[in-house]
Amino acid sequence: MKIVVCIKQVPETNDVTIDPVTHNLDRRGLAGVMNPFDKNAIELALHLKDTATDDVQVALLTMGPDDYAESLREGMAMGADEGYLLSDRAFAGADTLATGYVIAQALKKVGDADLILFGRQAVDADTGQVGPIVAEFLHQPQITYAASLRLSGKNEVTAERLLEDTKQTLVAQLPAVVSVRSELNTPRYPTPRNIQLSFEKPLTIWHHDDLDLDDSRLGQAGSPTIVTKVYAPKPVKRELTPLTGTPSEAASQLIKALKGRQLI
Amino acid sequence: MSKPELWVIAERRLDHIEPTTQQLITKAKHLAGDQFHTVAILFEATTDHLENELTAYGPDEIRVVRDDRFPTATDAEHADALEQLVKKYQPNSILFGATITGRSIAPRLQAKLQTGLTADCLDLRFDDETLVATKPSYGDNIMCEIICPDHRPQMATVRPNTFVAEAADGAAEVTTDTVTFHPVDRLQVKAAVPVVNTATTVGDASRVVALGRGAASEATIDTATKLAEKLGGRIGVSRPLTDQERFTHDDQIGQSGNTIHPELILNFGISGAVQYLVGMQDSQTIVAVNSDKDAPIFDVADYGYVGDAPAFMSALLAQFV
Repeated sequence: MKIVVCIKQVPETNDVTIDPVTHNLDRRGLAGVMNPFDKNAIELALHLKDTATDDVQVALLTMGPDDYAESLREGMAMGADEGYLLSDRAFAGADTLATGYVIAQALKKVGDADLILFGRQAVDADTGQVGPIVAEFLHQPQITYAASLRLSGKNEVTAERLLEDTKQTLVAQLPAVVSVRSELNTPRYPTPRNIQLSFEKPLTIWHHDDLDLDDSRLGQAGSPTIVTKVYAPKPVKRELTPLTGTPSEAASQLIKALKGRQLI
Repeated sequence: MSKPELWVIAERRLDHIEPTTQQLITKAKHLAGDQFHTVAILFEATTDHLENELTAYGPDEIRVVRDDRFPTATDAEHADALEQLVKKYQPNSILFGATITGRSIAPRLQAKLQTGLTADCLDLRFDDETLVATKPSYGDNIMCEIICPDHRPQMATVRPNTFVAEAADGAAEVTTDTVTFHPVDRLQVKAAVPVVNTATTVGDASRVVALGRGAASEATIDTATKLAEKLGGRIGVSRPLTDQERFTHDDQIGQSGNTIHPELILNFGISGAVQYLVGMQDSQTIVAVNSDKDAPIFDVADYGYVGDAPAFMSALLAQFV
């Protein structure tokens, strides 16, 4: 059985600021780390590998600049068997649709993935869209926001999915695409031995010419959406009525005010 | 020439309409003016009449497609049905709630249509016929305006409780349509069990007692629980408190969590990170108690007390009769 986990590298913190002069996002000095939600997907793959009776191969795949290899290495240090990096200037500036296209084409080349896993969403852009897009491009069923998943037969998984109102139990014939909730598991830490081993595991880099691609669907040109403005939200100021004195005095002022507003 | 269509995809929540649908219809009507024809798209079983929960919000049209398989249809089956309608009517724009369901079906439809989709929007407007969608990034610390200039339809998922649903005059025309249901046999919904108490996310409460780092002790949470009971409300928390096991994403305010606008929010021990303030600043009455007089929370508050939050809470609780 082959599992491919698609991951993303994100800035280590969300405390980004806007350059007041250029109005660009100031990401200077921000190191990249693996998207935390993706570790839950890797953990699920490794858990299946640990518990399945058949041999399970776990591959990681990401699209981004060369330094995204660090996240692949980290995932291999957790226990994944190999990594694929899709890196090319032609892929830059892609929105979710163009990203999903390249990843889907790469998954075709990887071949024979029984299960394709995603984290619920990336913490920087927060879309969670690439998983369903890839599922559609590969004509595979999808289970999003899986709260649990187990192998329930030959070429079959059973998953639970929590909707706003309902807990669904879904059974999918493989291959299938699954995105997982972070509550699913606690990702393991790399052990020193696995860290050492990770440097001997294969890391394959594919550039533009290594994949079968329609250039009109790549990068900025292949992205229907355009970001026209980036700004830091400015909360709207209100006129503050101070409450004063001891806590007890201030509390009684508040009760009077809330009564005046017919809130109590 | 007929007006371009602006669609809201209605979503089911157990035997009712998911409230985000009604919120989006109100927003769509405001956006549409005389320029667009607003249509709510509703998939339901042959015996359902969920359109009755939409008419009061006054979309121009409610387009109902009935098939007994819809209530348990999977994402791909829904997306397939929607694609058929999109090809038939060529809408200008399509809005989904950024619920789990909406966020699962919308990108699947996007891929079929090869168009743009902006996720989890906090605001929408039209420049002529171009939808300008405001989407938060980096945990709501940054806002982006995103357009999809050359592809149609334009698509967005919108965060629940971003807009307020309002009943509207005008009779919605209820029409029916058909699609060919293409079952995907490789994925089966084997069971669907209603989850009890899901209506208790902090976004559903009309009064919220919000706790931050400065009001995180066991005793303080206990006081807050009692206060919330007196107010007929609920506890909410800022991000640091979600590290406590008892609080989950459903309790969190801001930061890709719940955007809320209750009629009253009491903020205790919350200094007010930008994403938090943005997540609750549309509340009708905002009260803040914090020991730091320079805390940003006071900028957006109607009433503020500089002092010890737990002491204030105890005093407030004692004075409630």
